[in-house]
This record gives sequence, C-alpha cells and structure tokens, in this order.
Amino acid sequence: MLDISTWFNDALAGNTIFTADTLGYYAQGFVTTTQLVFLSLIAGLIIAVPLAIMRSSKHKWISLPIYLFTYVFRGTPLLIQLYIIYYGVVFIDGIQESFLWPILRGAFYPALIAFTLNTAAYTTEIFRGAIKATSQGEIEAARAYGMSRGLMMRRIILPSAFRRALPAYGNEVIFMLHASAIASVVTLMDLTGAARFVYARFYAPFDAFLFVAAIYLCLTFAILYFFRFLEKRLLAHLQPQTP
Amino acid sequence: MAATPTPLEVRNIKKRFGDTEVLKGLSLQAQKGDVITLIGASGSGKSTFLRCMNLLEQPDDGELIVHGEPIRFKTTKHGREPEDWKQVVQMRAKLSMVFQSFNLWAHMTLLENIIEAPINVLKKPKKEALEHAHALLDRVGLTARANAYPAQMSGGQQQRGAIARALAMDPEVMLFDEPTSALDPELVGDVLKVMHGLADEGRTMVVVTHEMSFARDVSSQVIYLHQGLVEEAGPPDQVLGNPQSPRLKQFLAPKY
Amino acid sequence: MLDLQGYGPRLIEGAGVTIQLAVLSLLLAIILGLLTATAKMSRNWFLRRTATVYTTLIRGVPDLVLMMLLFFGGQIGVNAISDMLYYNYEIDLYINFNAFAAGVLTIGFIFGAYMGETFRGAFMAVDNGQIEAGKAYGMSSGLVFRRIRFPQMMRHALPGLSNNWMVLLKTTALVSVIGLTDMVRVAAEASRATHEPFTFLIPVAVVYLLIASVSEWIFARLQKRYDIGFGGQ
Repeated sequence: MLDISTWFNDALAGNTIFTADTLGYYAQGFVTTTQLVFLSLIAGLIIAVPLAIMRSSKHKWISLPIYLFTYVFRGTPLLIQLYIIYYGVVFIDGIQESFLWPILRGAFYPALIAFTLNTAAYTTEIFRGAIKATSQGEIEAARAYGMSRGLMMRRIILPSAFRRALPAYGNEVIFMLHASAIASVVTLMDLTGAARFVYARFYAPFDAFLFVAAIYLCLTFAILYFFRFLEKRLLAHLQPQTP
Repeated sequence: MAATPTPLEVRNIKKRFGDTEVLKGLSLQAQKGDVITLIGASGSGKSTFLRCMNLLEQPDDGELIVHGEPIRFKTTKHGREPEDWKQVVQMRAKLSMVFQSFNLWAHMTLLENIIEAPINVLKKPKKEALEHAHALLDRVGLTARANAYPAQMSGGQQQRGAIARALAMDPEVMLFDEPTSALDPELVGDVLKVMHGLADEGRTMVVVTHEMSFARDVSSQVIYLHQGLVEEAGPPDQVLGNPQSPRLKQFLAPKY
Repeated sequence: MLDLQGYGPRLIEGAGVTIQLAVLSLLLAIILGLLTATAKMSRNWFLRRTATVYTTLIRGVPDLVLMMLLFFGGQIGVNAISDMLYYNYEIDLYINFNAFAAGVLTIGFIFGAYMGETFRGAFMAVDNGQIEAGKAYGMSSGLVFRRIRFPQMMRHALPGLSNNWMVLLKTTALVSVIGLTDMVRVAAEASRATHEPFTFLIPVAVVYLLIASVSEWIFARLQKRYDIGFGGQ
C-alpha cells in the first residue's frame, strides 16, 4: 500500500495540478456521479414500466395524465426541474419537522428525485413506442390461445417490447450520465463538480475539464459497449441465421 | 468531309469493377441522325458502356469525343478521372440520358422537372423554357399531367415525361438506358411510339434495349455485346436478319 | 395575478436571450452539421477521420463540461493571443470575450456533431438515381446539391433536426451556469432573492413548453412542404 502511494506521488511529482489530493476529488466525484446516475436510472425504470402501460391504454383518462407528465418533463430543461425541486422542497408543508428533512436538506436527494422523474418520463415514452410496435399477429395469436389482457401484457407484449426498446434505452442511459453533470450546479461534488473545483483552485480550465471529459468519454464507451453486448445476447434471435 | 463534327465517338473503352473486367475495349461512332441500339444478355456490359458515354461511370481506359471535343483525363490515386469537371458538365448537357427507372425528380412537378436543367444549366429565360416545355408535353401526350408529381403518374407517363425532360435540353445525342424494361407490358407501346417519332425526325440516339422490334424497325446500326466485347455489329437486317455467331443466333431465337 | 416582484422585464429580456441564443446556435449547428456530413462522405481520408473524431468526442462528453471547457478555456486562449500580439508585435488589441458569442459558438459546436449524424443519414437516404439524373443533365455538383440533394435530403432530416432542436433549446439553459443572463438565470436569481422559487421557475418552464409547441407546429409544416411529391400528401 505504501509502495503504491509513493509510486503514485513520484509519478505525479512536478505536476502541480494532478496531485493525489485533487485526484481524490475526482475519485469522490466519480462515486457521486455513479450513485446519482445508477440510482435514478433504476428508480426511473421501475416507475416507467407501469406508466408506459398506462400511457398505452385506450382510455383517455388513464393515458392523458401520463402524457402530460412526460410532455412537461421532456419539454423543459432538467436544470429547471432540478431548481424547482431543490429550491422548492422547503415549501412542502411540515417538511422541516418531518424525519425526511435531514435527507432533503442536502442537494443529493433533490437531485436524485429530479433525475429520477426526468429519466422516468423519457423511459416511459421509449417503452410506449416499443409496446405500440408489437406486431398485431403476436397479439392475435395470444388472444387466440385465450390469454387474458394481463397475461398477454406480461408474457407476450412486455418481453418483446423490452428487447425492442434496448437500443433507445442505451441512449437514454448515456444521456442521463451526461445530464448528471448539472448536479454540480447545486453544489454537489460529482465528476463535473470536482473539475470545477480544480479549475477554480488552479485556474487551469484545460487540465481540469479535459481530464474529466476523458473520464466521461470512457464511461460513455463502457455503456455503449455494454448495451451492444446486451443487444447481441438478447436480440440474437432477430438476426438472420447464417448457416 | 462532314460539315459538322461527329456528335459522339468513343474508342476502346475499358472498365473493371474489382477483379471483373466488364468492358474490354468497346468503340462506337454516332453520326448525326444515327440510331444505334445496343443489345445483349444481362451482364454483357451494355448499360455500363452507355453510362461510360456520359461519365456516370469512369472508364479505366479509352477516349471519349463529344461534338469533336475530346474529354481530357488524368490519373490519380483513385484511378482515371476527368481532368476538368467543368468540361464534363458541359459535355453532359449535350447528351441527355433517359433512365430505366425514369429518375424524374420526386420533389418537383413534371413541368418543373422539364424546365429545371434548361433554366439552371443552359441558362434559358424561364418564359422560353416554359413555352418549350409545354410544346414537349403536348408532343408526348402529357399536357394534362403538367402539374402532377412523378409519384402520382404511371410508369409509362413518367417515362414519357422523362423523354420530354431529355428533349428540353436540345441534346446532340440522346442516351436511352433500357427505357421500357421497368414498365408494365401494356405501357411499353406508348413509350416506343414516342421514340419512333424521335428517330423519324432525325435525332441521334444510342439505345440500350431488349425490344427487338424497335431495334429492327428503327436503328441504323445494331451492336450485339457479349461479355464486354462486340460480338457482331452492322445494319439491323444483317445483324438481326442473318446472325453469324451461334451466341447471337441463340440470343435471337424465339423463347418458348 | 402573477406577481413577479419587479423581475418581469428582466425575465422577458432573459427569454429574448434564450431565443436568440437558441436560434443562432441552431444556424451554426446546421452549417457545421452539413460540413461534417459532407466530410464524412468524402473520399478524403483525413476529412473523414477528422469528422468522425469530432462527432465521437462531442457526443461522448456532457454538454456542460464541453461548455465550461470552451468557455473558460476560450477566455484563457483569447487572453493568451492578445498577450502574444502585445509582447511580440506590440499590437495592443483588446479582445472582448463576449459571453453571448461564446455561448452561441459552444452550443453550435456541440450540436453540429449531432446534426452531422442526422444529415449524413438523410443524405444517404436520397435515391442515387435522383442524383445521377442531375449529373446526366449537366448539373455541376453545387447545383445538384442545391436543387436536388438538399431538398430531397431535408425530408429525411427533418425528424432528426426537430429532435436536435428540442434538445438544443433545453441545453441553452446551461449557459446560465457559466454567466449568461438567460431566463433561467434570472429566475434562479429571483428565486434565491425572494424565496419564492415557484413564482419564477414555473413560468419559465411554461415558456420552454410554449417554444417547444410552436416549434413542433413549424416543423410539422416544414415536413409537409418537403414531403411534397413523395405520396401521403
């Protein structure tokens, strides 16, 4: 352990900006970014599935409210949504006395809520598109075998819709990673926050931002390849067979 | 000595796609008023040969002389290329091509299709171009369709429209690339009738076709291509009436 | 009635900044996108490679990071140039690093990469026979582009273009972070000063929705115009 840290300090010797100290900020930022993105994606996904089913409903009074939700969250900047939640949370009646206050007072959870609602809105529309694209033949076949609506949704429509939605959802994950950079605006020390800190301290924009850009680039490629791999695995049956 | 230069002359055209040599040295000379038909099985290279004449394909070797003016070529790392694209552009304006799949511009009405190149390439005044266009539409029997878009017209109408578009350029030579191959059989007649009329008025034409009756009745010269080479060439009654090579005999034999 | 506590005029001014910024960035992005698409389809190895690196790098990094890099870095770059001019040539040139211009350049540069992909796909969707007909009638490549390739490409590009515009519009909100006084910055300032965030942030959100709805209508009309001749009219 000692060896590694001395080697590290040697390697960085003469570099006034990238010291073990500042790299620590980037590491901390990496953890915050990962947490924010990962948790909001998971929560958003869980919310999006029922919303997408409701959004696909034939009944206007079920689909319309969901449409309004996605319209508003997809039509306004995430930054505005973040501000509204971050500055607005104080004004929820009784919040300051509730047990939630210590959590919500910071910036992390308001950011997490904003990101979750935002990705839920986009994901809902992605899934809705995929559900809508289910072939009529598959649905008719399910009906012909006497499946109920619920069973049909669970066994036929959703599984194929998820696979169809995969490429678009991969883009949404990358989008979310990039969008998470605005967490730094509300004082969170995410990756971008770390870069801003280093920039402010050393007035070295190129070093600070190029370094963090490279990290984001690597993460983007990692997500890209992960989804390509998933697509290959899950969509293999749709590819033409080569003898 | 001819008073006017030969409208179109090509000498020893060669072309390869990858490892296959599709044209192995083809020549042709179209004098004013000539109707030359190129026939041959598919894959014989006749369409490629035609497309080399206005340089939609770049020949690897050979000469191209339009209205007495040789096209200059240079060799680059991408292969042989025209030296001066301006010269090519001017040359193409003298050779109008009619395509197998019509290729009328989909975002323009028929009338707009016809006046497009005369106005923007030949720099004709719009009024003059419009007058000419209406006369041509009348001639090909499409006056009523002037403001239709190509997608709203039948294949036969589109091809007659495309011929009107070609005529609007007052071309030295008209190149036809299998003009009836994409048409339903009952629509072929109208297009052939228009082409007959063009031949009768002395237009210089080079026609790639499968219509043997057209080749027999209209052409001044028939060239039979086989695997990128001229197998037989001459007046139609000689080539079609008295074929020499067994391959041409088989090609012309009635199909059951 | 909505009481904007005297922030009304500044909010309207900010909305003007947002709209100007978005429209000018869009124009720049379209120009860069067309150049990028052309470079990607060119025979020149270097052009193709440069365009690919540009689109890959830009699309792999958050807008905000790029914005800060170009904005703060640009500032230093401009200072370095004017210093260099002064010390080496004694040219005392004061280059004003205009925040608005920097915002337009940055957003235009970012979205040029996205537009490049949109245009490339759209150009490739144009039937080659349409282009060949243009060439065969003696059109120069410029004329073929203007009269045939571009109008036919637009039909395929518009859905992507519209999508990019909607994202670009929302991205303009980020300039508030780097010091431009757009409507988001005014609203955020007012929220902090008055402790009434909803009074300012919600109207601004509504303005975004309004702009988005109007643009949707404009794009639908444009699509109709460029769909002419392709059936379905």
